[in-house]
Amino acid sequence: MNSLDIRVSELSHRYGRTHALQAIDLHIQPGEFVSLVGVSGCGKSTLMRLIAGLQTATEGGVWLNGQPPAAARAAKQIGWMAQQAALLPWRTVRQNVQLAQTINPQPGANTPNPDELLKMVGLSDFADAYPLTLSGGMQQRAALARTLATGTAVWLMDEPFAALDELTRELLAEELLQIWRQFRPTVLWITHNLHEAIRLSDRVVVLTPRPGAIAGEIAVPLPRPRDDTSAAFQALLRQARALLRQEVVHG
Amino acid sequence: MAKENPQITQISQISADFFSASSAGSAVKKFGQKRVNLSGVGLLVGVFVVWETAVRLTDTPAYLFPAPTAVFRYLFSHLADLLLAGGVTLLEAVAGLVLGTAVGLALAVLITFWQQLEQGVMSLAILLKSTPIIAIAPILTIWLGFGPAPKVIVTALLTFFPVLINALTGFRSVDGALLDWLRSLNATPQEIFLQARWPGARPYLFAALRVVGPLALIGAVVAEWMGASSGLGRAMWLAYTNLNMPALFAAVFVLTGVSTAVYQTIVWLEKRFLFWE
Repeated sequence: MNSLDIRVSELSHRYGRTHALQAIDLHIQPGEFVSLVGVSGCGKSTLMRLIAGLQTATEGGVWLNGQPPAAARAAKQIGWMAQQAALLPWRTVRQNVQLAQTINPQPGANTPNPDELLKMVGLSDFADAYPLTLSGGMQQRAALARTLATGTAVWLMDEPFAALDELTRELLAEELLQIWRQFRPTVLWITHNLHEAIRLSDRVVVLTPRPGAIAGEIAVPLPRPRDDTSAAFQALLRQARALLRQEVVHG
Repeated sequence: MAKENPQITQISQISADFFSASSAGSAVKKFGQKRVNLSGVGLLVGVFVVWETAVRLTDTPAYLFPAPTAVFRYLFSHLADLLLAGGVTLLEAVAGLVLGTAVGLALAVLITFWQQLEQGVMSLAILLKSTPIIAIAPILTIWLGFGPAPKVIVTALLTFFPVLINALTGFRSVDGALLDWLRSLNATPQEIFLQARWPGARPYLFAALRVVGPLALIGAVVAEWMGASSGLGRAMWLAYTNLNMPALFAAVFVLTGVSTAVYQTIVWLEKRFLFWE
């Protein structure tokens, strides 16, 4: 899979008189896993929508492999996951995955078999189940399979596991990481959970409270799988927490 | 509703109460269909017994208030005629319901795709909906005669508005997260409509149909009162002008039966189409 690079340059956004984002500059390498951390309401989700081109920024720009987001959307290179699984309740799990392939079909694209994707996320036995009969964790697994169905090059993930219980959340993150290592898409992972950010990503970007601006970045050079009890992990966690705290208190 | 003939409002209110009561009953059904059915039948029998006794004890003449036995005697002796009349009214009501639903849906789709049409379409729809149906019905009868056409149109006029409003609400009720996901795939407005808006609006549509189904029969009967060559409305009108109370009550009984059947059919369809709920 050819993953894309994401370049965000001098990006500012306002909703009426509310200043949501302030001069964001961010470059994410192809295949890099970057977490965006910030307190609630700091514009994380807005930034993700701007990167996907679901909204247009008041100032500045976003490029995916040098192209505007609309081009990446048209080529179905963006995999989108949010806190709600947003499955269609009248379609079975398999039909939900298939839908990702039927919408905006790409001629000549190699489309993975939905059943194999469901196997990959551990939902083989539930291919014919309807989403509302599944647990929250299983619904997010289905959403993940659906994200994989389009053979995406970029994953934009807005706290996809935030509504799940701690253990399910950890397990799913682990599995997601394995799948990421297999396909190597470029990932922008939004979370307010520092621990999760450090466990998953190559780099953690901390946003200030509103208006969201980049407060700092922390590289995570630890090998995966990561031991969250190790001294190095704990040191990074402290460093990130200090950065976030300073901004919140300062703000 | 407010500007319509108060009598119709009352009738539709009564039927709405009646039907909401029966839908509340359907929730109880889960515990034991038989028990609920029996208690429903028991209640009905009870009402008839009290009614019969009261009429007999007070010696009320049948031209004022007929006893149930008198009504049923009339009903069974004129069964074929009444069923035929019921069939005619049912067909008119269903045709009007289909037309009204189609128009309501078409307008809702139109507004969903071209939002700039909303104000114009809604003003017109509200104007049509606010004109008392009791005033339109005679005009249509004079223009179109005693056949089914004015009945179908009156019924359609009575039914399109709730469908329009509910369909529009349904089309717009798509979950924001789902909409984001579809847009992230560059789904066209048509794809979004077919995959998300239309199936997602089905619960809203059925809610509208539950209201509009019994309303359709009222529309057809009211139009028949204005002049018809057949139908339950005509049967009622004839009974009324002849002060034949058992005949009038018999027609009402048949109408209630047909109306309940229409409502139950809609409920049955709803269960089939909203399987995921």
